[in-house]
Amino acid sequence: MNMDKNSAALYKKMQTEVESYQNLQKSCVKMVKQRALLEGQLNENKCVLDELSLLGPDNKVFKLFGPVLVKQELEDSRQNVGKRIEYISKELERSTDTLENMEKDMLKHREAVAKYQQQWQVAAAMK
Amino acid sequence: MAGTSSATAKPEMIDLTKLSPDQLMQIKQDFEQEMGNIQESLSTLHGCKAKYAGSKEALETFQPDWENRQILVPLTSSMYVPGRVKDLNNFVIDIGTGYYIEKDLEGSKDYFKRRVEYVQEQIEKIEKIHLQKTRFLNSVVGVLEMKQAAAVKMMQAQQQQQQSNQSA
Repeated sequence: MNMDKNSAALYKKMQTEVESYQNLQKSCVKMVKQRALLEGQLNENKCVLDELSLLGPDNKVFKLFGPVLVKQELEDSRQNVGKRIEYISKELERSTDTLENMEKDMLKHREAVAKYQQQWQVAAAMK
Repeated sequence: MAGTSSATAKPEMIDLTKLSPDQLMQIKQDFEQEMGNIQESLSTLHGCKAKYAGSKEALETFQPDWENRQILVPLTSSMYVPGRVKDLNNFVIDIGTGYYIEKDLEGSKDYFKRRVEYVQEQIEKIEKIHLQKTRFLNSVVGVLEMKQAAAVKMMQAQQQQQQSNQSA
Protein backbone atom coordinates (compact mmCIF):
# COMPACT_ATOMS: atom_id res chain seq x y z
CA MET A 1 0.00 0.00 0.00
CA ASN A 2 2.76 2.31 1.00
CA MET A 3 4.62 1.39 -2.16
CA ASP A 4 1.63 2.27 -4.33
CA LYS A 5 1.42 5.71 -2.79
CA ASN A 6 5.10 6.18 -3.41
CA SER A 7 4.93 5.18 -7.02
CA ALA A 8 1.83 7.29 -7.58
CA ALA A 9 3.70 10.32 -6.25
CA LEU A 10 6.61 9.48 -8.51
CA TYR A 11 4.30 9.14 -11.46
CA LYS A 12 2.79 12.54 -10.74
CA LYS A 13 6.21 14.15 -10.54
CA MET A 14 7.17 12.51 -13.78
CA GLN A 15 4.05 13.75 -15.45
CA THR A 16 4.62 17.36 -14.44
CA GLU A 17 8.15 17.10 -15.81
CA VAL A 18 6.86 15.70 -19.08
CA GLU A 19 4.29 18.45 -19.28
CA SER A 20 6.79 21.23 -18.77
CA TYR A 21 9.04 19.56 -21.31
CA GLN A 22 6.25 19.49 -23.86
CA ASN A 23 5.40 23.13 -23.16
CA LEU A 24 9.01 24.07 -23.69
CA GLN A 25 9.07 22.10 -26.90
CA LYS A 26 6.05 24.01 -28.15
CA SER A 27 7.55 27.40 -27.40
CA CYS A 28 10.79 26.19 -28.94
CA VAL A 29 9.01 25.47 -32.22
CA LYS A 30 7.41 28.91 -32.06
CA MET A 31 10.80 30.49 -31.43
CA VAL A 32 12.35 28.68 -34.40
CA LYS A 33 9.55 29.94 -36.63
CA GLN A 34 10.05 33.48 -35.37
CA ARG A 35 13.76 33.16 -36.03
CA ALA A 36 13.15 32.06 -39.59
CA LEU A 37 10.96 35.13 -40.05
CA LEU A 38 13.67 37.40 -38.64
CA GLU A 39 16.28 35.79 -40.85
CA GLY A 40 14.09 36.42 -43.86
CA GLN A 41 13.63 40.06 -42.91
CA LEU A 42 17.35 40.48 -42.36
CA ASN A 43 18.03 39.04 -45.78
CA GLU A 44 15.48 41.27 -47.46
CA ASN A 45 16.88 44.36 -45.75
CA LYS A 46 20.40 43.43 -46.77
CA CYS A 47 19.27 43.14 -50.38
CA VAL A 48 17.62 46.56 -50.14
CA LEU A 49 20.77 48.09 -48.67
CA ASP A 50 22.89 46.52 -51.42
CA GLU A 51 20.57 48.02 -53.99
CA LEU A 52 20.53 51.43 -52.32
CA SER A 53 24.31 51.51 -52.17
CA LEU A 54 24.42 51.00 -55.94
CA LEU A 55 22.36 54.14 -56.57
CA GLY A 56 23.73 57.49 -57.61
CA PRO A 57 22.48 60.91 -56.48
CA ASP A 58 20.18 61.27 -59.50
CA ASN A 59 18.17 58.12 -58.69
CA LYS A 60 14.94 58.77 -56.85
CA VAL A 61 13.96 56.67 -53.87
CA PHE A 62 10.41 56.18 -52.64
CA LYS A 63 8.96 54.53 -49.58
CA LEU A 64 5.54 52.96 -49.48
CA PHE A 65 3.34 54.29 -46.68
CA GLY A 66 -0.01 52.59 -46.91
CA PRO A 67 -1.12 53.13 -50.50
CA VAL A 68 1.14 56.11 -51.28
CA LEU A 69 4.74 56.35 -52.37
CA VAL A 70 6.63 59.09 -50.58
CA LYS A 71 9.86 60.43 -51.96
CA GLN A 72 12.85 59.81 -49.70
CA GLU A 73 16.37 61.16 -49.50
CA LEU A 74 18.84 58.48 -50.55
CA GLU A 75 21.07 59.06 -47.53
CA ASP A 76 18.12 58.88 -45.12
CA SER A 77 16.92 55.63 -46.64
CA ARG A 78 20.37 54.11 -46.37
CA GLN A 79 20.59 55.07 -42.72
CA ASN A 80 17.09 53.78 -42.01
CA VAL A 81 17.74 50.43 -43.61
CA GLY A 82 21.09 50.23 -41.84
CA LYS A 83 19.39 50.85 -38.51
CA ARG A 84 16.77 48.25 -39.28
CA ILE A 85 19.44 45.69 -40.08
CA GLU A 86 21.12 46.50 -36.76
CA TYR A 87 17.86 46.10 -34.89
CA ILE A 88 16.97 42.81 -36.58
CA SER A 89 20.47 41.45 -35.98
CA LYS A 90 20.09 42.22 -32.28
CA GLU A 91 16.69 40.53 -32.19
CA LEU A 92 18.19 37.53 -33.92
CA GLU A 93 20.98 37.31 -31.35
CA ARG A 94 18.45 37.56 -28.55
CA SER A 95 16.34 34.78 -29.99
CA THR A 96 19.44 32.61 -30.41
CA ASP A 97 20.19 33.08 -26.72
CA THR A 98 16.64 32.27 -25.68
CA LEU A 99 16.68 29.21 -27.89
CA GLU A 100 19.90 27.99 -26.33
CA ASN A 101 18.48 28.47 -22.84
CA MET A 102 15.34 26.64 -23.83
CA GLU A 103 17.38 23.74 -25.12
CA LYS A 104 19.29 23.59 -21.86
CA ASP A 105 16.04 23.61 -19.88
CA MET A 106 14.63 20.92 -22.12
CA LEU A 107 17.65 18.75 -21.46
CA LYS A 108 17.19 19.23 -17.71
CA HIS A 109 13.57 18.17 -17.88
CA ARG A 110 14.46 15.20 -20.03
CA GLU A 111 17.05 14.08 -17.52
CA ALA A 112 14.56 14.52 -14.68
CA VAL A 113 12.02 12.40 -16.54
CA ALA A 114 14.60 9.68 -17.11
CA LYS A 115 15.52 9.75 -13.42
CA TYR A 116 11.89 9.46 -12.26
CA GLN A 117 11.31 6.72 -14.78
CA GLN A 118 14.18 4.74 -13.38
CA GLN A 119 13.01 5.24 -9.80
CA TRP A 120 9.55 4.20 -10.81
CA GLN A 121 10.82 1.05 -12.46
CA VAL A 122 12.90 0.20 -9.42
CA ALA A 123 9.86 0.75 -7.20
CA ALA A 124 7.73 -1.42 -9.49
CA ALA A 125 10.32 -4.19 -9.52
CA MET A 126 10.48 -4.25 -5.71
CA LYS A 127 6.74 -4.81 -5.41
CA MET B 1 15.62 26.97 -43.62
CA ALA B 2 18.86 26.56 -41.71
CA GLY B 3 17.25 25.86 -38.36
CA THR B 4 18.09 22.16 -38.23
CA SER B 5 21.33 22.11 -40.19
CA SER B 6 23.49 21.93 -37.07
CA ALA B 7 21.53 18.94 -35.80
CA THR B 8 21.91 17.03 -39.04
CA ALA B 9 25.62 17.60 -39.50
CA LYS B 10 26.44 15.19 -36.70
CA PRO B 11 24.81 11.91 -37.80
CA GLU B 12 27.11 11.73 -40.80
CA MET B 13 29.99 11.01 -38.45
CA ILE B 14 28.19 8.05 -36.87
CA ASP B 15 28.54 4.57 -38.27
CA LEU B 16 25.04 3.89 -39.54
CA THR B 17 25.32 0.15 -39.19
CA LYS B 18 25.70 0.54 -35.43
CA LEU B 19 22.34 2.25 -35.02
CA SER B 20 19.19 0.38 -34.10
CA PRO B 21 16.38 0.13 -36.67
CA ASP B 22 14.25 2.44 -34.52
CA GLN B 23 16.93 5.11 -34.55
CA LEU B 24 17.37 4.69 -38.28
CA MET B 25 13.64 5.06 -38.80
CA GLN B 26 13.71 8.23 -36.72
CA ILE B 27 16.58 9.64 -38.78
CA LYS B 28 14.81 8.67 -41.97
CA GLN B 29 11.64 10.44 -40.90
CA ASP B 30 13.51 13.57 -39.81
CA PHE B 31 15.34 13.66 -43.10
CA GLU B 32 12.25 13.13 -45.16
CA GLN B 33 10.62 16.06 -43.42
CA GLU B 34 13.67 18.21 -44.01
CA MET B 35 13.77 17.21 -47.65
CA GLY B 36 10.16 18.30 -47.90
CA ASN B 37 11.10 21.71 -46.49
CA ILE B 38 13.99 22.01 -48.91
CA GLN B 39 11.75 21.04 -51.80
CA GLU B 40 9.30 23.74 -50.72
CA SER B 41 12.01 26.41 -50.55
CA LEU B 42 13.23 25.38 -53.96
CA SER B 43 9.82 25.77 -55.54
CA THR B 44 9.41 29.17 -53.86
CA LEU B 45 12.76 30.23 -55.26
CA HIS B 46 11.83 29.01 -58.73
CA GLY B 47 8.63 31.05 -58.46
CA CYS B 48 10.64 34.15 -57.48
CA LYS B 49 13.02 33.62 -60.35
CA ALA B 50 10.13 33.35 -62.80
CA LYS B 51 8.67 36.62 -61.47
CA TYR B 52 11.94 38.51 -61.85
CA ALA B 53 12.54 36.99 -65.27
CA GLY B 54 8.99 38.00 -66.26
CA SER B 55 9.63 41.62 -65.28
CA LYS B 56 12.89 41.57 -67.21
CA GLU B 57 11.16 40.23 -70.29
CA ALA B 58 8.49 42.89 -70.06
CA LEU B 59 11.21 45.55 -70.00
CA GLU B 60 12.98 44.00 -72.95
CA THR B 61 9.89 44.40 -75.11
CA PHE B 62 10.09 48.17 -74.61
CA GLN B 63 11.30 49.88 -77.77
CA PRO B 64 12.81 53.38 -77.91
CA ASP B 65 10.12 54.52 -80.39
CA TRP B 66 7.30 53.67 -78.03
CA GLU B 67 6.79 57.24 -76.91
CA ASN B 68 3.02 57.93 -76.79
CA ARG B 69 2.27 54.40 -77.84
CA GLN B 70 -1.12 53.22 -76.70
CA ILE B 71 -1.15 50.35 -74.21
CA LEU B 72 -3.67 48.61 -72.00
CA VAL B 73 -3.05 49.13 -68.34
CA PRO B 74 -4.30 46.33 -66.10
CA LEU B 75 -6.52 47.57 -63.27
CA THR B 76 -7.20 44.03 -62.11
CA SER B 77 -6.03 40.78 -63.64
CA SER B 78 -9.09 40.77 -65.90
CA MET B 79 -9.86 44.46 -66.52
CA TYR B 80 -7.82 46.97 -68.49
CA VAL B 81 -8.00 50.66 -69.34
CA PRO B 82 -6.29 52.26 -72.34
CA GLY B 83 -3.26 54.40 -71.61
CA ARG B 84 -0.27 55.98 -73.30
CA VAL B 85 3.41 55.61 -72.54
CA LYS B 86 4.54 59.08 -71.46
CA ASP B 87 7.93 58.42 -70.03
CA LEU B 88 9.98 55.68 -71.65
CA ASN B 89 13.05 55.88 -69.55
CA ASN B 90 11.88 55.85 -65.93
CA PHE B 91 10.72 52.77 -64.11
CA VAL B 92 9.88 52.47 -60.43
CA ILE B 93 11.00 49.17 -58.99
CA ASP B 94 9.95 47.56 -55.72
CA ILE B 95 13.19 46.50 -54.06
CA GLY B 96 11.57 45.14 -50.89
CA THR B 97 10.65 46.29 -47.36
CA GLY B 98 8.49 49.06 -48.83
CA TYR B 99 11.29 50.81 -50.69
CA TYR B 100 10.90 51.71 -54.35
CA ILE B 101 13.58 53.17 -56.61
CA GLU B 102 13.42 54.95 -59.90
CA LYS B 103 15.76 53.71 -62.61
CA ASP B 104 16.17 54.14 -66.35
CA LEU B 105 15.49 51.32 -68.79
CA GLU B 106 19.04 49.92 -68.79
CA GLY B 107 19.35 50.20 -65.02
CA SER B 108 16.04 48.41 -64.53
CA LYS B 109 17.00 45.60 -66.87
CA ASP B 110 20.28 45.32 -65.06
CA TYR B 111 18.45 45.17 -61.72
CA PHE B 112 16.28 42.26 -62.81
CA LYS B 113 19.22 40.52 -64.40
CA ARG B 114 21.10 40.71 -61.12
CA ARG B 115 18.06 39.51 -59.19
CA VAL B 116 17.62 36.49 -61.45
CA GLU B 117 21.31 35.67 -61.03
CA TYR B 118 21.09 36.03 -57.26
CA VAL B 119 18.09 33.74 -57.02
CA GLN B 120 19.78 31.25 -59.34
CA GLU B 121 22.79 31.19 -57.03
CA GLN B 122 20.54 30.45 -54.06
CA ILE B 123 18.80 27.70 -56.02
CA GLU B 124 22.12 26.09 -56.86
CA LYS B 125 23.25 26.26 -53.23
CA ILE B 126 20.08 24.59 -52.03
CA GLU B 127 20.19 22.00 -54.79
CA LYS B 128 23.67 21.02 -53.62
CA ILE B 129 22.40 20.55 -50.06
CA HIS B 130 19.44 18.65 -51.44
CA LEU B 131 21.75 16.27 -53.31
CA GLN B 132 23.87 15.66 -50.21
CA LYS B 133 20.80 14.92 -48.14
CA THR B 134 19.38 12.61 -50.79
CA ARG B 135 22.61 10.61 -50.78
CA PHE B 136 22.58 10.40 -47.01
CA LEU B 137 18.93 9.41 -46.93
CA ASN B 138 19.64 6.68 -49.48
CA SER B 139 22.42 5.26 -47.35
CA VAL B 140 20.15 5.33 -44.30
CA VAL B 141 17.44 3.50 -46.23
CA GLY B 142 20.05 1.02 -47.50
CA VAL B 143 21.27 0.18 -43.99
CA LEU B 144 17.69 -0.04 -42.78
CA GLU B 145 16.78 -2.51 -45.49
CA MET B 146 19.87 -4.55 -44.74
CA LYS B 147 18.91 -4.72 -41.07
CA GLN B 148 15.34 -5.64 -41.89
CA ALA B 149 16.52 -8.44 -44.19
CA ALA B 150 18.88 -9.71 -41.49
CA ALA B 151 16.05 -9.64 -38.93
CA VAL B 152 13.74 -11.62 -41.22
CA LYS B 153 16.48 -14.19 -41.83
CA MET B 154 17.08 -14.55 -38.12
CA MET B 155 13.39 -15.09 -37.47
CA GLN B 156 13.17 -17.71 -40.17
CA ALA B 157 16.21 -19.51 -38.76
CA GLN B 158 14.62 -19.50 -35.31
CA GLN B 159 11.38 -20.90 -36.65
CA GLN B 160 13.20 -23.66 -38.47
CA GLN B 161 15.09 -24.52 -35.36
CA GLN B 162 11.87 -24.66 -33.35
CA GLN B 163 10.29 -26.89 -35.94
CA SER B 164 13.21 -29.23 -36.03
CA ASN B 165 13.20 -29.27 -32.21
CA GLN B 166 9.52 -30.16 -32.20
CA SER B 167 9.90 -32.92 -34.73
CA ALA B 168 12.90 -34.36 -32.92
